[in-house]
Order: sequence, then structure tokens, then C-alpha cells
Amino acid sequence: MATAPDRLRRARPLLGTFVEIAVAHAVPEVMAAAVECAFDSIDRIHRCMSFHDPASDVSRLNRHAAAGAVMVDPWTFQVLETALELYHRSAGLFDVAIAPVLQEAGLLPGPIRARPPEPRGSSADEPIELLPGHRIRFRDRNVAIDLGGIAKGFAVDRALDVLQEHGVPQGLVNAGGDLAAFGAEPESVFIRHPFKPDQLVCQVQITNEALASSGGRLDLVEPSSVARQAIIDPRTRRPPDAIAGASVRASSCLVADALTKVVMIQGKDSAALLNHYRASALVVSMSGEICVTLGWLGGENLAA
Amino acid sequence: MTTWIRLATPAALVSTVAAPAYAVQYLSIAQAQKQAFPSATAFAQLDARSWKAQSGGTVLGLIVVDHVIGKHLYIDYTVALDPSGRIKRVDILQYRESYGGEVRDASWLAQFVGKSSASALKVEQDIRNISGATLSSHHVTEGVKRIVAAYGNRAR
Repeated sequence: MATAPDRLRRARPLLGTFVEIAVAHAVPEVMAAAVECAFDSIDRIHRCMSFHDPASDVSRLNRHAAAGAVMVDPWTFQVLETALELYHRSAGLFDVAIAPVLQEAGLLPGPIRARPPEPRGSSADEPIELLPGHRIRFRDRNVAIDLGGIAKGFAVDRALDVLQEHGVPQGLVNAGGDLAAFGAEPESVFIRHPFKPDQLVCQVQITNEALASSGGRLDLVEPSSVARQAIIDPRTRRPPDAIAGASVRASSCLVADALTKVVMIQGKDSAALLNHYRASALVVSMSGEICVTLGWLGGENLAA
Repeated sequence: MTTWIRLATPAALVSTVAAPAYAVQYLSIAQAQKQAFPSATAFAQLDARSWKAQSGGTVLGLIVVDHVIGKHLYIDYTVALDPSGRIKRVDILQYRESYGGEVRDASWLAQFVGKSSASALKVEQDIRNISGATLSSHHVTEGVKRIVAAYGNRAR
């Protein structure tokens, strides 16, 4: 694809995936500076929220937050605030404290704690305490968090903010399929089939909104590992068995990213939560049935 | 009240659009060199895939080009190291996914996509963004580690 002079497109490996930033309709120097700064903000999130990096906020919390409050980056605090709100609104289905179960299932590295915590209901004592001064404390030694289900969406939102602060009129940030765009031109996005990566399920137009998808992780170098499912239903401690893939459109990528996990687990029962966040969804069931909410189609298509 | 609309049953999936080829050229090697070391006045080739960035007599660091080739994925990328051998930045130069086919049935999309899909899908022009299962960058990350190990002490 030839690159027009008023467009710039760059990609870097971050957040365990490929992050692409595309901008248009500004002078080259402004676009180059905006893209550099946007990648810097994603790099900051990567350093704060990686489960694998022992120096990250997440790793420091998992080591020390049960013994006493740990101060974190304001962005880590903000993500945890939203994560806890989503935990309550989803009746515990979106749970960042699921890390020990993911470790037990071999989906995350690290020692398996002696006694994985019992499944928690929404009425249970809050296991993660948010304290003044961006400090976090865990109530229990068995609590460990993983922000893998929400950090990519947050990173997309922050990077988009940076592009807009630089005065770029058109921008797109795509973190391995979790994406958001602003500007007058709609962005075409093709949704990949969850278990047939060479097939597309549909095309959507994204303008000033976010879209995120879930369906496990995809390794195109050794495609035999496609099936690896990184989502666990906290109630059964097993991967969801009815839904193969889910995509969510919302105003923020953080919300879209998190809601895909709930839709994967809850299927069509996620309608009320989607409504609350003014989000719409597409789900692909294990049997291949494809369903969307009315909002997904949009008013124009319904009239046609 | 949110209602759900069924778009396709398993039988209908037979006609799903198949086999996109998704390719993007982000940067040339020369552009990546310049972006990693903007103040460099020369790039002296060290071996077949690495260059020392220099400004006058000062070595600013090293840039190494590498690639990942998989069953469906081809990626060229560069790793820039500072003189102490630490990673300065990693850039993707070229990304290509290939399944070796053509889009078979664009009209199936038109059932529910609306206006934009009226024209036939032009592979590599229209497919700019794909959402779906998260793409793993594991193999690039492993490659970056190998480059740091091999070139870390040669960046001075």
C-alpha cells in the first residue's frame, strides 16, 4: 500500500501484541511527533501493567500488596478503579483478581499459590482496596491480579488522547485488534473468525468510537496454538464453552476491551451490562451462529 | 431492552469471506535507522544485518534488522541498541499475513454491512484493520532477546 504524504503509519511490539498507530491530514513533523509520544504512553502502560515484568506495578502489587499498601502509577490506579467498577456491575464476571486461577490453568506463568482463592460473589468483601495517594492494598495473601483483560483497551484510549493533544485531525490506534479511531473518515475494520483466522465474519465502520474483540490468542507463526483460550469463567474456573468469539463497540476502548470478556462468558445474558455502558456487541457461538445487538447494526442499516 | 439478531447460522458460514492477505509496509531500513538515531551522520555496516550509528567520531549505538517467518506471518523488524547494549526501540518494518487465496464472496458481507460494502472488497487496499483474537507478538519478543544477547556488547 502506497503511503500518501499526509499519512503516517507505524507499528511496534508492545503489550504482548502488535500496536499500530495511524494518523492523517497533518504536517509530517506534527504527525511524527504525535506518533512517537503516543507510543511512549503505551510503553509506560506496558511497563506499569505487565504481569511478566518483575518491576511492573502489577508484579509489585502481587508480591507486596497483601503485606501493606503499595503506591502505583496514577494510570495503574485508574485502571484498577474501572476494573473494580466493572467487577461489581458484572456480578463478579469481570475479575482482575483471577490471576491465581489463570496460573493454575497454565495461562499465566509463576508459582501456583498454596490455596487458590475461593470463587468470590459480588457481595464478598472487596479483595482489592483503593487508598488515597494512588496506593493499593490486597485484603488477602491469595489475591493476585492480572490486567491483561483491560490494559490494552486503556492503552488505546491514552494513545488516542495523545494524538488529539498534538492536534492531529484523524487517528487510529490498534493494539492487536483492540482499537479506536477519531476523525471525519470512517475506518473499515474486518472482524476475524474466532477459530478460522483466515476468514472474516463481517466488516464494520468505526468513527469516533472503539472496538475490541476476544477469542483467545492467535499465533500465526505456529498456528497449532490458536485454540489457547485466555479467558476463564470465575464461576466454573473453566474457559467459556458456549461463545467462541466476541466483539464490542463502545465509546472507550477500555470499556470495550473489558466487556468482551463478560460477553465471552455470559453470551446473550450480557445485554443489560452492554446497555449500561451504551455498548453493542457481536458474538460467535461455538456452533458458528453469529448474533449482534440492535446497536451493532446502527439505525441506517435497520431502515434499509 | 437489548435484543439480539441472528446474522448467520452454521450453514451460512460456508460462504464466509475467506483468505485475506493483509500486508503493510511501515518503514524502510533507512527510515528506521534515521528514526532510531535522528542525530546520526553515518551508518557503518557491521555485518549483513547490523549498522553502527555514528555522529562524527562518536558511536551512538547499533541497529539490527531481523525477521520472523511463520506459516501465515512474515515480519521484518529492527532493534536499536544504545552504546551500553540496552534496547532503545523496536520498530516493525513490514507486516504480512498470507493465506494464499482471494476473497471469494464479498456479497455475503453486504447483507448486513450497509453502504460501505457495496463495492467489492479489494484485498490489500480495503483490509486495513483486523480485529479478532489477539495477535501474539511472542516470536518478535524472543527475537529481540536473541539480538540483545548477540549484539549487546558490540554497540559501543
